[in-house]
Amino acid sequence: MQGKSVDYEELVPGYEFPLSTYELSAPLVSKYLRAVDGTGDGFVPPLAITACAIAAMTGSLSLAPDTVAIHASQELEFLKLVPIGTVIECHITVAQKITRGKMSVLILELESFDQDRERVQWGKATVALPT
Amino acid sequence: MLTEIQEGKTLDPVVKHITQEKINLYAEASGDFNPIHVDESFAAKTPFGGTIAHGMLNLAYVSEMMTSAFGQDWLSGGKLRAKFKESARPGDTLTINGRVNSIEQKDGVSYANCSFECRNQKGETVVAGETTARLSSAQE
Repeated sequence: MQGKSVDYEELVPGYEFPLSTYELSAPLVSKYLRAVDGTGDGFVPPLAITACAIAAMTGSLSLAPDTVAIHASQELEFLKLVPIGTVIECHITVAQKITRGKMSVLILELESFDQDRERVQWGKATVALPT
Repeated sequence: MLTEIQEGKTLDPVVKHITQEKINLYAEASGDFNPIHVDESFAAKTPFGGTIAHGMLNLAYVSEMMTSAFGQDWLSGGKLRAKFKESARPGDTLTINGRVNSIEQKDGVSYANCSFECRNQKGETVVAGETTARLSSAQE
């Protein structure tokens, strides 16, 4: 993970989170498979890629203490097989920010690319936070 | 893998027991250490009243069901739309069920449109949504 921390107020539509780059190494994938009771088949489970992307985003987001963010919905599209050892670059952009009463809803677009600059995954996450 | 994909076919269900240990393992694997998942004293003071599993952990079980049914056609060409409706907590047993609702042809390629539901032991829906798997010719 890399990049600076961003305050919630700075998140406006079009905001791009700092790029995150990570290697989907054999130990990382095996740790993920252990956590989800999964079995390996030589390829990276697509949800492992999403998990890393979301963790990179939340890791660079600075929220007030005691704030609980709720993952409300998720869309994903898996575009190609990802072999173990692939280096992934993840782009996350704020698509929408909506405030409804005491809740704020963030809609984030996620795109992951491999080292050949090919898009391997696309997604959209909706996260609700108290304002 | 499913040997024959047909409309109405149910997918083999996946059953998982949630424990705090599994949640902690998932936090370590994903790097998501949000205290609502891993800090029991923090979580106890929130409206949830205790720790909850990561939504993405619940979705990983959905993906496991789809991978069992469709193999690489899911890993490359799969699509998913999910809504998180309830939280999964330590002690819960989750059952993920899925069904092929339709087979669709687009530009000479077949797609299986499925629905899924992840319920806890009380019958409450934790996650629900739709998935699509592109079918290779071997599965059509």
